[in-house]
Amino acid sequence: MTSARPEPGGARPSVTADLGAQIGLVARGDAAAFDAVYEQVAASVFGIVRRVIRDPAQSEEVTQDVLLEVWRNASKFDAERGSATAWVMTLAHRRAVDRVRSVQKESERERRTAKADIPYDEVAEAVESSLERERVRRCLGSLTELQRESVTLAYYGGYTYGQVASLLGVPAGTIKTRMRDALIRLRDCLGVDQ
Amino acid sequence: MNRMKMRDREPHTLAGAYAMDAISAPDRARFERHLAGCHECAQEIASLREATARLATATAVPPPSDLKERVMAAAAMTRQQPPAVMQATGSEATGSTARTRAWRGRLRWAAAAVAAAVVLAVAVVFGVSNGTMRHQLSQAQASSQQMAAVLTARDATMMTGAVHGGGNVTIVMSHSVHALVFTVAGLHALPASRGYELWLIGPAGDRRVTMLPPGRHDMTGPVIASGLRPGDHLALTAEPAGGTSRPTTPMMLDVLL
Repeated sequence: MTSARPEPGGARPSVTADLGAQIGLVARGDAAAFDAVYEQVAASVFGIVRRVIRDPAQSEEVTQDVLLEVWRNASKFDAERGSATAWVMTLAHRRAVDRVRSVQKESERERRTAKADIPYDEVAEAVESSLERERVRRCLGSLTELQRESVTLAYYGGYTYGQVASLLGVPAGTIKTRMRDALIRLRDCLGVDQ
Repeated sequence: MNRMKMRDREPHTLAGAYAMDAISAPDRARFERHLAGCHECAQEIASLREATARLATATAVPPPSDLKERVMAAAAMTRQQPPAVMQATGSEATGSTARTRAWRGRLRWAAAAVAAAVVLAVAVVFGVSNGTMRHQLSQAQASSQQMAAVLTARDATMMTGAVHGGGNVTIVMSHSVHALVFTVAGLHALPASRGYELWLIGPAGDRRVTMLPPGRHDMTGPVIASGLRPGDHLALTAEPAGGTSRPTTPMMLDVLL
């Protein structure tokens, strides 16, 4: 049995402790394990994909692609290089961002209107209820305003650091370093293991 | 000159943007080249991604309920990528094992494709209630897992043979797994009333293995024959479509296993 560190109030679902092992089984074609993986990650994948893409139909499509990629590439997961959750969420986020950027030209104007309502309030609204969400919210709140805006525009908005820089009217070099500082602070605040 | 120096330092500061995919495609490629040679940077990215993953899981929303069925069905029709293979030591990679390995690879894909086809057929026939689907899935999976066990067994050996009347047979067998995987290419089509039946014949008696499924693209199989015993022969006959309990026509193939 993998040892999950007990979290006060069950902040993190204990099932995630087994996710890496389940993905190992998926790599061997185990459909039941894939079923279990789906149960563990589908909501998070759909959540982040929808947050970035927004359009519900496209979000479903990309979510399906991401989960299929987990199935196809399960053998590529390497527990030495990070947690299974991070592996899946990295796939999900990258796919969502790639989708947004591939359609960006056509809908540039649409996105420009949409950008106005991305930042903090919306994150705060979504990041509620569970203790885990509360903790993420608190940690986002501990960042400087520029750090927080850089992170929310980049991660939830799907913008490049260059785009974030022009949205915020700050030099790109500054944004790059703020992003890195922000993630380091978030990591420490969230008590991430690695 | 200055520019070069900037470029050398730059990658480190890109770590945050990279971990959030907030980076253009050329920047991404450049940073990944840098990562490949910088263990420390790779570790930093890994740790930052644990943080971004939490930003993602914090947005969790249950997806539409029918998504799962679609994903499971799509997975059943999707071939999986093989893992990166550890290099064989030079002396081991003789011609014949290399050939066997190539065949194993092909057979493994064929096995996966067949399993996927079975699952798709099942999905169509039963209209897939979730439970039924899962059950059928695991059965198809069991057969492909059995094939995988043969193909990856240490004592797996490959044999080829010709079918009287046309067709080239490839067999991979493992006595430790007590099973073999059988495929045949270029088999003559039979009238609908008849089919090919596969047998294990030996000291332990004659055992019917299975009727061969209809060929696709000139390939028939792979099928698995389990219950293999020492001294068995593998035989093939043409029989009435429903199959018979013992061979009734001349052997078109007879291979000592």
